[in-house]
Amino acid sequence: MTAVLAAGFLIRVPEIPILYETSRNLFFHVPMWFTMTVVFAAGLIFSIRYLISSSMRMDALAESATMIGILFGFCGLLTGSLWARFTWGTWWTFAEPKMNLSAMALMIYVAYFILRSAFDDPEKRAKIAAVYNVFAATTVPFLLYVVPRQLPSLHPGADGNPAFSDLTAPELRLVFYPAIIGFIGIAVWITQLRYRYIMIKLRAERGSAPTQL
Amino acid sequence: MTILINFFAILLIAATDTLASAYSDRWQGVQDPEHSNMIMQAMASNGLIFVVLGVSLIIWFVLISYLIRLEKKLDKLEQKF
Repeated sequence: MTAVLAAGFLIRVPEIPILYETSRNLFFHVPMWFTMTVVFAAGLIFSIRYLISSSMRMDALAESATMIGILFGFCGLLTGSLWARFTWGTWWTFAEPKMNLSAMALMIYVAYFILRSAFDDPEKRAKIAAVYNVFAATTVPFLLYVVPRQLPSLHPGADGNPAFSDLTAPELRLVFYPAIIGFIGIAVWITQLRYRYIMIKLRAERGSAPTQL
Repeated sequence: MTILINFFAILLIAATDTLASAYSDRWQGVQDPEHSNMIMQAMASNGLIFVVLGVSLIIWFVLISYLIRLEKKLDKLEQKF
């Protein structure tokens, strides 16, 4: 974990002095969505592992991974909105499928936390949240990667072509891939932080409850 | 409190710089930043480099505000012991 984190921070530094203007946003906006997908996928795996083993550890991991996924998705939406203002001319448009469907995917995940907050019993909450997370995670590939490619759109990656086509300068890749690794490293790190926080909280609630009473 | 102020500042920018018809799919109908208000003009100067700055600042502030929130929660937990 430390190695990933160190790499994430060390590699991300030299990425800035390449190319010009808003194409640099490729290093910031796109990795947000990559990390979000990776972290949500991790959340799915942890949720399934919770359903198999029903250990609270897995539930805490799934919960924190989902939280960090929302965080990065939110970053992606905001940065995309700002970028769109200056390249497409509007903050938000309902004619753009990728924008709206990614917002929808985020809504589904926000509902995950609303669902969690509805239960007081941690075991029950963990179980229902895990089942819901399996459902939520299966919608993500369709909302983000399948449907937008079938619809006409200004967003790169629409109309069936991959986003990284020959119109992208090859130098960009040199920075783009490390940026992805770096942001995923940061996401893993923050996820672990939240996971540790939840575990300490759980232990505190269990351990100190008798003594406080 | 500061969050509220920031929110209203964003609303202010958005209110003075938003499409009248959001449902339109005619991209050409959109006003370009040069003929927009002052903040937008400043953002669009120097080959849109400030957009990149804005994008990285958004990421930075979202992540850092999350970490600060997490730290505050940890503080609360620490005070119980």
